[in-house]
Amino acid sequence: MITAEGLYKRYRKTVAVDRLTFEVRPGVVTGFLGPNGSGKSTTMRLMLGLDHGEGETRFDGERFTDIRRPMNKVGTLLEAKPFHPTRSARNHLRMLAAANGVGDKRVDEVMELVGLAAVKRKKPKGYSLGMAQRLGLAQALLGDPRILLLDEPTNGLDPHGIHWMRDMLKHLASEGRTIFVSSHLLSEMQLMADELVVIGRGNMLFNGDVDQFVREFTQSTVIVRSPSADALASALEGAGAEVVKGEDGELVVSGMEIGAVGHLAFTENVELSELSTRSASLEEAFMSATGASEEFVATEPIAPATEKTGGADHA
Amino acid sequence: MLDALRYEWTRLTTLRSTYWLIGVGVLCSLAIPVIAGIAVNEEPLTSETVAAGLNGGAAFGIPFLAVFMAIIGIFTTGHEYRHGTIQPTLTALPQRSRLVAAKILVVAAVTVAVTVASMALNAVALLVFWGEVPGLFEDPLRSALLGYVLYTLIYTLVGLGLGLLFRGVPSALVVIFLVPLILETLIFGLSFLPMADWLVPVVKFLPFMSGARMMVVDLAVQDMSGPGMPDFDFFGRWASGGVFAVFAALIITGAWILFKKRDA
Repeated sequence: MITAEGLYKRYRKTVAVDRLTFEVRPGVVTGFLGPNGSGKSTTMRLMLGLDHGEGETRFDGERFTDIRRPMNKVGTLLEAKPFHPTRSARNHLRMLAAANGVGDKRVDEVMELVGLAAVKRKKPKGYSLGMAQRLGLAQALLGDPRILLLDEPTNGLDPHGIHWMRDMLKHLASEGRTIFVSSHLLSEMQLMADELVVIGRGNMLFNGDVDQFVREFTQSTVIVRSPSADALASALEGAGAEVVKGEDGELVVSGMEIGAVGHLAFTENVELSELSTRSASLEEAFMSATGASEEFVATEPIAPATEKTGGADHA
Repeated sequence: MLDALRYEWTRLTTLRSTYWLIGVGVLCSLAIPVIAGIAVNEEPLTSETVAAGLNGGAAFGIPFLAVFMAIIGIFTTGHEYRHGTIQPTLTALPQRSRLVAAKILVVAAVTVAVTVASMALNAVALLVFWGEVPGLFEDPLRSALLGYVLYTLIYTLVGLGLGLLFRGVPSALVVIFLVPLILETLIFGLSFLPMADWLVPVVKFLPFMSGARMMVVDLAVQDMSGPGMPDFDFFGRWASGGVFAVFAALIITGAWILFKKRDA
């Protein structure tokens, strides 16, 4: 169990993490979501005492900096390639293991577990990002900890690697471990996470289970197709529903239950070829929840000025 | 603390640079008695030549071995930031003071061991060419050689402190070589000019120059007292070493405090 209370971090005038309080339960995978620059990594660094700020995080009741041999209790993966380029991967793990009373046998075990046994004596500078992430996970698992804190562990992994990571984390959670994993890959979170902590600009936006998040931040819509779509759209709007015409000619109706839409079509004597509901995805819920709290937003691409002027205006 | 020492020992011994830096430092130091032995082995050994043979010509500037050991010192802390390993290090060993103490202890022990081993190797070279190493355990040679070990140790620890202070390698390298070789030499040279004679009392507090006095066999020659010379009023051997040690302690203490305060 991880208990974070009042986490707060300020860089000069910018508040990076603003009084975050949440719990991460054992036995489930908890996703940590937020747009770029929302403070996910800073929050994790605060939790581990790498950054100094306010608030307190307890891992099964203990602060991280108070834990003797912490890798045996909390496994972490924070950065993609934090390795000395000329120290072999195995020696990198042996070095960290030495600080935590972990033997060389376990080092070889975790290298085997993450699929790097064949390259364990190679230098990590030759590793791909995916291999580096696997080494990072090996590092996190070194002390066979009950708690895992992973920052974007699927970055750089190929589809097979992502599938492997997802299964691995779900398996570890099923053993009763506490898994806290940040990601911006929403589709991954939908498949992997049972619970979510969602932040935007350092503020808590949501803390609960995935389905509840989708329900809270999106509204289900009704999809209806009809040979008399225009007449039906007018009738629906007349009854107070919001109607948008889809790309394939379907009507996307919001603000009215599916039963009411069917009843209206019946009373208006309009033939229907489809009547269904569409649930929003996690991605839509995420966009809805974090839309106002994006830290770095790109503008729409614009045409070069020369095209607008026909390329003739070269002063 | 034992865990931290094990960590630091594994960190140091699993880096290839540790071995080649020590190897090059020992070989450069060994080259002095070997070249001297080939060139002038018919001349009798004096205390000064024995000292130069054992410490690799330290009297001519910064000892070779100290240069390479200081780079190891800088790598000990600077590499953690250069390669981002400070994060896994602090998640494996989050007690920051324990980590710094372990780094100092392990690097200090290795530096002393390597310096003594290098002197022993150089002594063998002197024995090969001259058949004797006279006055080895008698003052002032004994004190000068002990001073050489202490100088190399303090110089290495200054490197470690600078790596931690600057959180990287390049700035620390610049400071540890340019301050003794250029800045202190410049201040010392300027102090001879009448218009800059106010620098004269400062000279005995120049840290690297003071530290080097520990390695000198005959301090009276180094004091440069005489008609027309500024009166530098240098400290004695060990007091001068104290100036260097205080300088190292200030650098390390400052770096240590900042390391505890700063984000990793």
